[in-house]
Parts: sequence; C-alpha cells; structure tokens
Amino acid sequence: MGIVCVLWEKYVEFKYEWIKITTAAIISPILYLIAFGWGLGDRLVNGHPYILFLIPGIIALSTMNTSYSSVGTSLNIQRLFEKSFKQIIISPTPWWQYLVGQIIGGAIRGMYAGVLLLIIVMPFQNVVRVTPLFFLVMLLNGIVFSSLGVLASMIAKTHSDISRFSTFVIMPMTFLCNTFFPLEKVPKVAQTFINFLPLPHASGLLRAISYGDPIQYQSLAVLLVYALVLFMLTLHSTQRIKNM
Amino acid sequence: MIELRNLTKSYPSQTEPAVKSVNMHVEKGEFFGLLGPNGAGKTTMIEMMTTLLLPTQGEIMISGQKLERHRVDLKKKFSLVTQEYSLRSDMNLNQIMELQGRLHGMPIKRIRSRSDELLEVCDLVKHRKKIVRKLSGGMKRKLMLCRALLTEPEIIFLDEPTAGLDLMFRRQMWDLLRKLNEEGLTIMLTTHYIEEAEALCHRVAMMRSGEIVRLENPRKLIMELGEFSVDVFDGNVTKSYYFENKEMALAFASTIENRINIRSTSLEDVFVKISESGVEIS
Repeated sequence: MGIVCVLWEKYVEFKYEWIKITTAAIISPILYLIAFGWGLGDRLVNGHPYILFLIPGIIALSTMNTSYSSVGTSLNIQRLFEKSFKQIIISPTPWWQYLVGQIIGGAIRGMYAGVLLLIIVMPFQNVVRVTPLFFLVMLLNGIVFSSLGVLASMIAKTHSDISRFSTFVIMPMTFLCNTFFPLEKVPKVAQTFINFLPLPHASGLLRAISYGDPIQYQSLAVLLVYALVLFMLTLHSTQRIKNM
Repeated sequence: MIELRNLTKSYPSQTEPAVKSVNMHVEKGEFFGLLGPNGAGKTTMIEMMTTLLLPTQGEIMISGQKLERHRVDLKKKFSLVTQEYSLRSDMNLNQIMELQGRLHGMPIKRIRSRSDELLEVCDLVKHRKKIVRKLSGGMKRKLMLCRALLTEPEIIFLDEPTAGLDLMFRRQMWDLLRKLNEEGLTIMLTTHYIEEAEALCHRVAMMRSGEIVRLENPRKLIMELGEFSVDVFDGNVTKSYYFENKEMALAFASTIENRINIRSTSLEDVFVKISESGVEIS
C-alpha cells in the first residue's frame, strides 16, 4: 500500500533527524513568542490579552511552515539532487497513493510542531482552550500546506525555486494573515484578498476554539476546498510533467 | 516483450530531436545492448521506456500493451539502474531495499530474505547499516543493482551499470547478469564499455544522433567489418584496415612499412566506424 510506504519513509526520516526536526520546528515560533509576546504582551486584542491572541496564530504558522517545508524541501532534494525520485516515478505505486502519503506525512509533521508549541505554552493552557477540534484544524492546515509543498517541489526547476516560492507565498502569509495582528487592522481591499488565503482561516479557527467562541464553518470550508484543490492540482501536475 | 513504434523525443530547448522515429523490438529473454557516443540518445530512450520521460511521438509496448505512466501492471514488470546515482542519501542499505520493496508492494518477509541474498551476492552485507552518503561510488552502483533486482522484474534496464566499478566486480557483475538472463530476465543495457556489450549482448543497436543506424548480433557486425584488423600508425594517427581472414590481413601487412598491429576485430571497431561515419557498414 503506497500510503503506508510513504508514511514508513517519513518515519525513517524522522527517526534519524528528530533532534534537528524538533529544534528547527520550535526555534522561530519561540522567537516570535518572545519578541511579540514580551514586547506587546500587555495589550488587549478584542478583549483578550495579546499573548492569547498570539499563541493560536503562531501554532497555525508553525503547522504551515513545518508541513510545507518538510515535504517541499525533502521532495525537491529527492527530485533534483539525489535523483532518487526517479525510482518513485517508475515504481508501480499509484500516484494518488504516493501523494496522499506525502501530504499526510507532512501534515503529521506540522501537527508535531503545533503540539510542541502547545507544550511550550503550557503555562498559558488554563486560558488557551485545546479541544479535539483544535487538533483537527491543525491537521487540516497541515494538509493544505503539505499539499502546497508537494506542488511546489513538483514544479520547481531548481533548488532555489523552492526558497523563492517560500519567499513569495509563505513569508507574506506569515506576517499578514491574522497571525500577529487582527485582520481588521488592514485596509478593506487587503482584507478581502487575505481572506482568500488559507492561513487567516486556520488562525481564526484556532483562536476561536482557544477563546471558547463559536467557530466559523466557512473557514473550515475554505481549508477543505484548499486541501482538495491543491491535491487535484498536484495530482494533475505530476501526471502531466513530461520530463521528470 | 518490448516494442518501440516510431518513438520520438524532442526537447523545447533543442532544435533536433534527441530520439528520432525509432522502431525496434526486444524479445523476451534477450540481452540487448544500446550503444552510441555521448549524446546519441541512449539514456533518453531508456528514460522513455521506464516512463521517466514521456515521448513526443510514438508508442512503447510492453508485452503487447501500451506503456503509460499510470500503468501500474506494466510498471511491475521492470526495474531500472540509472546512469547517475539515484539513492536517498539519508537511508542505510536495508532501508533503501525496504523502500524499494514497499514501493512494489512486496511482503516485508520477502523483502528481507531477497535483500539478504542480493546484498550477499554483491558483497554488501557488512555495510548494510551504513548510510548511503558514506558508501563509495562502487558500492552505490552495486546497491543500485541489488535494488533493481529486489523486485524480481521481467525486464531490467541498465544504464551504464558498471561505470566506476573495478575490473573484478565488473566481471562478477557480468556473470550475475548472464545467469539472470539465462533464467529468463530480459536485459537492456547501455554501456560505454563496448567489450561489455560484445561479451554479453545477443543483439546491439548502434545509435547516432537519435537514430538507430545498425541493429544486429555483435558477432555478425564484426564479421561484416572483417574478422581481422591491421592497425597502421603513420607517425600521427592510427588507421585500421579490416579483412575477412588472417591471410588477407598478413598479405596487406607485408606491403606496409609503418608500424603495424594485426589483431582480431572487436565490436569497438564497429562502434568507432559507425560513430565516425554514421553510415551502415557494407
């Protein structure tokens, strides 16, 4: 079964590199928490302390970054540097199974990063509410961005393309999409555009759950649509690429 | 077993197609060689036959069925040893083998027992826990062959499989490939070692600029050129002359005053002749 094969492969990757993976997953979020949390922590946002606004946003951000890079970078190296991806292409494993395996593997790595952050922010847990739905949103967010990672690695022509993609797509989302400040602070036109992106919805959902507020079902729908569309695009691109 | 029909590959960046309307047929159980100078189109052909590249035109038939990237049933029939190293550098030998077996849906027990056999044959057992990036080039080549044989394919594509291997192992690999071929494995080989093709292949296709200029049994090609050769060195270059028999070669040699060498013609002579001229040998 192709999905199990890829998950096994991801497990092997993790087993050998878990220290590096773990430290890489928490360094940036901790720095964000320190810089923004300590610097602006005494402010109130929508009636809640800023730190409680910040934590769900950074969890969404971490799941995004880890899911994207764990799949995108690894596949890019396999495809363009190691050339080991050739064995995947010629293998009888159906494409859809391989891609689903990669996407789930990436999403699990994203969730791992999110869970690590939840452990780090334990002191705030009495006010950051974590429910099963919280984990489901993290997983869904991971699925969206690991799909994006697979897509980026398939269409990238050089190693630099992956980091360029990150600079032009992931980085702006990091700073503009409901992570560090509420969307209401940006102009209306920008708000409309940002609302078409997946990250503000993931942040919004995690924040609503942690505040104990009702969730926006349309945000869940946006994430689901993104996951589906990106998967279809990835499947299509891998079938169409003439020269692997 | 493998049939190529009008197979063509063009790249947008190149004016001339890399492979031009190739038609050929490889029989089941045949040991087939694809020879030609650098850039002749050999690797492009192999990559199309393994779905790494999609043809611009034409078809590849395997066991009478059209090969396409989604044809899981046909992809189960073949394995590939690529020209460049194509191994995950962060895995050890056991994991490389297990990954390959899993990708082909093999049961774990079978993967382990078959890996044991193959790593033993290739003298890699003691390195099985080593990470690939710590292996020598020769070991990586051996591992790639083990990986390709793991899944017990019906066809194996070998793109320069012995490049960088020492002479002793190259000969061992020849014996292994002969044995596998005798057991029914269809082998398609590209190599720069022409003596390898001469020693192993039932038929060879000589390629030049994307076209097959000759397809024949190596022995027959040699006989067509002339069984004996006289190399004449004129002080600057060596020119070879080919003769049907030894007597004719000796008679010719007696008329030459320059430094000469009389020897048996090899497939390499045929290769050089075709690579230089690109025309059929008559």
